[in-house]
Amino acid sequence: MKNILAIFKKELKRFFSDRRMLFMLIMPGIIIFFVYSLIGNFIPQTDPDFTYIVYVENDPVEFSSFHTNELYKTEIHSISESDRETVLAAIKEGEVHLFISYENDIINKIASYDTSSALPAPQIEIYYNSSSMESSNIYAYYSGILNAYESTISNKFDINAGLAQYDLATQEDMTARVLTSMLPYMMMIFLFSGCMAVVTESIAGEKERGTIASLLITPIKRSELAIGKILALSVTSLVSAGSSFIGLLASLPQLLKGMNFTLDIYTPGAYFALLAVLIVTVLIFTVLLSMVSAISKSVKEATSYGVPLMLIVVVLGLSTLMSTGSAKSFWLYLIPLYNSIQCLVGIFSLTFNPIHFVVTIISNLAFVFGGVFVLAKMFNNEKIMFSR
Amino acid sequence: MKEILKIENLRKTFNLSIKQRKLEGTTEKRKIAVDGLSLSAYEGEIYGLLGPNGAGKTTTLRVISTLIKADEGDVFVDGFSVKENPDEVRKIIGFLTSELKMEGFFTPNYLFDFFSELHKVPENIKKTRKELLFKKFGIDKFAEVKVADLSTGMKQKVSLAIALVNDPKIIVFDEPTSGLDVITAKVVTDFLVSLKQEGRTIIISTHIFSLVEKVCDRVGIIIDGKMKASDTLKNIMGEKSLEDAFFDIYEASEGKKL
Ligand SMILES: Nc1ncnc2c1ncn2[C@@H]1O[C@H](COP(=O)(O)OP(=O)(O)O)[C@@H](O)[C@H]1O
Ligand SMILES: [Mg+2]
Repeated sequence: MKNILAIFKKELKRFFSDRRMLFMLIMPGIIIFFVYSLIGNFIPQTDPDFTYIVYVENDPVEFSSFHTNELYKTEIHSISESDRETVLAAIKEGEVHLFISYENDIINKIASYDTSSALPAPQIEIYYNSSSMESSNIYAYYSGILNAYESTISNKFDINAGLAQYDLATQEDMTARVLTSMLPYMMMIFLFSGCMAVVTESIAGEKERGTIASLLITPIKRSELAIGKILALSVTSLVSAGSSFIGLLASLPQLLKGMNFTLDIYTPGAYFALLAVLIVTVLIFTVLLSMVSAISKSVKEATSYGVPLMLIVVVLGLSTLMSTGSAKSFWLYLIPLYNSIQCLVGIFSLTFNPIHFVVTIISNLAFVFGGVFVLAKMFNNEKIMFSR
Repeated sequence: MKEILKIENLRKTFNLSIKQRKLEGTTEKRKIAVDGLSLSAYEGEIYGLLGPNGAGKTTTLRVISTLIKADEGDVFVDGFSVKENPDEVRKIIGFLTSELKMEGFFTPNYLFDFFSELHKVPENIKKTRKELLFKKFGIDKFAEVKVADLSTGMKQKVSLAIALVNDPKIIVFDEPTSGLDVITAKVVTDFLVSLKQEGRTIIISTHIFSLVEKVCDRVGIIIDGKMKASDTLKNIMGEKSLEDAFFDIYEASEGKKL
């Protein structure tokens, strides 16, 4: 136990008191932040020639000039060409961008409305979908121009004052969709690259530099060496992955601007589950990469052996980009890495299943224990440790 | 005289990779590095393993220090078998070779503490031992300098100090003076002699005759993995110089004059 602690402390000291190492660990996060924020700024908001499809009910001729402007080309349809339900569904799907519903005979009603009366003002309803950039754009335009007009005529009508749901994308749906499709993938990649740098440096690096032999001639048990290293490397990898993750989160508002974005929909339980899954995933990565590093002669070799593993992670991660929820079969949650990704998808898409979560944690921990055992055996094998 | 190191019929072979086969110009898949070697070293003596490059010296020393395992035969260190009780052997041995490196990022002070901890050296004993060794080798001034920034000679001295954290009964030293400047080499050889005077047993490997003549009590001549002669320095030399004695044995074993 004391030996595990001694190894653990030595490894942490190695990574955290060396400025160069520390920089290596947190740099990915900084890069991600700047790159993603930049990308967010450069994403072309929309094509200037884009034509917005707008349905209008009871379109007053007096307002028809609103439809023509420099910035937004519009294609105006009367609701009589279709019906309300179909148009609202099409907005959800992103096929139609806006539906403006004026009260019947609104111009006369506005003219005769007495702002001091207690009666409700004439109504204008604008339906849109905030998860679509186009819909958000054209909504911003119409609501802006109508609001401006309203204030010039001393608030003689109301926009979206009713109880109906005007934004046809629900906040939860939208956030969950964006996050589900993107974050599990990103997280796996960040965790993996964090581990890769740290583990290869510590194990293959020590082999390459010949410092591991100094440890192997001391009376510590090989298992103590394996456990001490894996714990320390996991902590270090988590810090590195954490920095990437913070970088990503910090850049999300820029990246997703124009969409109403919030993380408030996730409960503390979800965050706890997230943390637990990330920790076991890092442990698995660390164990796997430790083995790969143990059989390599140099950091370079270990890194190249790590590439196939990286590809597996990428493929597993990409498979989630296409799916909308997590896998259902219990047995699939026994497979390390796959189960981590599926749990992440579950957590982010609000389809989190506690049983799947528990199975994932237990199965991953079992693999880690097995891995530590194998790694200790590898440390004891001269053909692996001292091959020429 | 207490026999503190005993090697019995040691045999060690290595699988040769394709690359190594090319390098060594052989088609053999296996290389016999040590072939039935036996020796005995006694308490308070310096034993010198003398032989040409590739004779199997380093391999023998690596088996003694439990880094690698023998195919056949065994090594006993103060009665503990490296096969059965490697952990006991590790407790009482100090191994020094250019193959064992120190992590350059750490300071001598930290490394001494770290290895003392792994050897479970009590805090107060560690403190006095560190002071003594650091002073002796002049490490005290560099105790907080990263090893990577030290000179080669100072690095070697730090390795030496660290190999002694556990106050080993037996010190195994592969090529003690190789790569050292003359001054550090002298510090190291003088230190070996002082360790011996404290009653410790030391086994070194070398191909330098003068070093053996200067410090060794007993010599083993190893050629092609086989022990050709193992005796006191006096008996090996007879009336000749060590160099002449060595080449007599060498030519007899190769069956030709050089
Ligand atoms: N790990 C290894 N793999 C293959 N061959 C080895 C290995 N270690 C040593 N050898 C071979 O064993 C022989 C003895 O090597 P060594 O013990 O290093 O000799 P010495 O130290 O006397 O110069 C050499 O031919 C060397 O190439
Ligand atoms: Mg050698």
